[in-house]
Amino acid sequence: MDFDYLKQKRILLVDDEQELLDMVVSILNEDGFQDIKTAKTVSEAVTVSDTYQPEFAILDVMLPDGNGFDLMERLKKTADYPVLFLTARGEDDDKFRGFGLGADDYMVKPFLPKELLFRVNAILRRSYKAENPLVKLHGSKIDFERAEVLKNGEHISLTAKEHDILAALYRNAGRIVTIDALCEAAWGDNPFGYENSLMAHIRRIREKIEENPSQPVSLITMKGLGYKLVVEGK
Amino acid sequence: MKSVPKLIRRFVGIMLLSSMLLIILNFALLGIYTLNQSPNSSPWITAQEVADHLSKNENEYVLSEDTALELQNTNVWAILIDNMAMKVVWQTDNLPETVPMSYTISDIASLTRGYIDGYPTFTGEAENGLVVLGYPKESFWKHMWPSWDYNLIANLPKTVLSVLVINIALIFIIYVIANSKLLKSVKPIVSGIQALSTNEEVYIKTSDILQTQSRQLRKRETARTNWIAGVSHDIRTPLSMVMGYAGQLENDVQLSENNRQKAAVIVRQSKRMRNLINDLNLASKLEYNMQPINPERQNLIAVVRQVVVDFINMNIDEKYTIEWQTNETLTSCTANVDKDLIRRAVSNLIQNSMNHNEQGCQIFVRVIAENNVYTVIVSDDGVGATDEQIGKLNNTPHYMVCDEKTTEQRHGLGLLIVKQIIFAHSGKMLIKHSDYGGFEVELSLPMTM
Repeated sequence: MDFDYLKQKRILLVDDEQELLDMVVSILNEDGFQDIKTAKTVSEAVTVSDTYQPEFAILDVMLPDGNGFDLMERLKKTADYPVLFLTARGEDDDKFRGFGLGADDYMVKPFLPKELLFRVNAILRRSYKAENPLVKLHGSKIDFERAEVLKNGEHISLTAKEHDILAALYRNAGRIVTIDALCEAAWGDNPFGYENSLMAHIRRIREKIEENPSQPVSLITMKGLGYKLVVEGK
Repeated sequence: MKSVPKLIRRFVGIMLLSSMLLIILNFALLGIYTLNQSPNSSPWITAQEVADHLSKNENEYVLSEDTALELQNTNVWAILIDNMAMKVVWQTDNLPETVPMSYTISDIASLTRGYIDGYPTFTGEAENGLVVLGYPKESFWKHMWPSWDYNLIANLPKTVLSVLVINIALIFIIYVIANSKLLKSVKPIVSGIQALSTNEEVYIKTSDILQTQSRQLRKRETARTNWIAGVSHDIRTPLSMVMGYAGQLENDVQLSENNRQKAAVIVRQSKRMRNLINDLNLASKLEYNMQPINPERQNLIAVVRQVVVDFINMNIDEKYTIEWQTNETLTSCTANVDKDLIRRAVSNLIQNSMNHNEQGCQIFVRVIAENNVYTVIVSDDGVGATDEQIGKLNNTPHYMVCDEKTTEQRHGLGLLIVKQIIFAHSGKMLIKHSDYGGFEVELSLPMTM
């Protein structure tokens, strides 16, 4: 799956420390992001946001002339784009507040470049879906837009639950998604006692996407833990 | 303060009720007592009976035998004074000699009201005269001038009632005054106890010193927690730069393998510092109860499973493998827990196994539900610990919570935090040897909380 289009996104980076700004820019540049603007204060960020129209923002919580939460509210008034908080305050209440206001994720300093990049890419992938992305698996392709699988020139449609489960797996492609997270994706907030239903759905998904459903290579069981979707080129 | 008026209301109610009961009880007792005291009918009635049972046979007066016997038994004498002669015409055998045998009208008036020679006398009207009974001396007290103002008697019920009411009112006033003083002195304690239950600050005058002391202690604890939070906050930003650039250098293909190794060491050590900062902050908050615990209904298996999956997804070093050993038939362990804290506890245990086995190890995680207790077990097949070390870990307080100077070698905060979290959930932590030859920690949480 090709995510190059995400590297073109305009990113606004706000932190009061010049050295930290430089470092984050360098990390993002190294990963292929080119269009980055920085700001060191709330007012500067608002000005930059108005002219530059960012598609993604990374905000520090503590700024000299205000805090990141209020800044996010102001920014989101004009345009709705994803926000990742970077902060040195590890307290949980901050975290909840950030998410409650509509932040997409939250990272406590210090962090490793790969940790930051993982989150940035995950948020962008979630927020900006490519036009009709065909997800390439071994021996088949998934068309999420049309909720169908292309296998051996055949179009096999996915049920709503199968689509939800596959989408959750795809969002975390290459990583294990727990049984509980998949149940939540398919059955909502109170996903107790759906483990057997989930197994039945997984079996049916495998019949649709796998060349040999009894020996799956794309949708892999991690015994007792969950499932992993192996996507080609990832 | 709604409980003091309530208290007064209840006390007054009890008081009024008890004084009513007391009055009723008094009257009842008085009645029973007087009835018991005079089992025989009134002497006036007896006198009339004697008069009725006295009959004239020819010239002799004869008293019926029953009545005569009764008089004899009670040691009462009797005489009959003839209407005409004003003389005693009949008498009982036990008549004292001092009793006169003839009477004037004034004598009659006097004996009716009072006594003959100290014998209380009672009269009954016979056919031709007056029967006089003389009771033993000092057996009766007679009111010599029994007369009252008519209005007084007419108003008696009213008077008694108003006196009663005034009495009750007086008792009530005395009671209220006495009690309000008591209540006033008790009020701080009552409000203190009430405040305690709502977790407010308790203030009792007499414990001023204690209050100041505990406030200062609290202040110091807050200051310490804030200090730790502040320091960890201030370290985070510089450490970000160290970690960020070291992380970039570690993966810089233009650098020599040797230099990349050096960068890797910086990354590894900064990660240790990051863990330490996180742990220090949480440990101090948990220790001084400044970390709010938010228990919610959770599937404990899902919480633990997510931690294991996060570790696997994080691409941990291939030296470490994590095996999920929870029985597959056990799918749900519902408990009221703070999800974030339990996650932290389990990841600390997994991290602990990694930290102590740099050569690599296999880590085993399982959840068991037995005897109303959920047990989360994290064990490894690594180097483990000696019996002595395990005993120390189980029993010696950590330097952070130890109130004595300690020269013991200091160890990480990871296990301390796990212990604090499990304690905050009313659970237990047990450290022991693993069946796989390494280290094992068992966390037990009660099923119903």
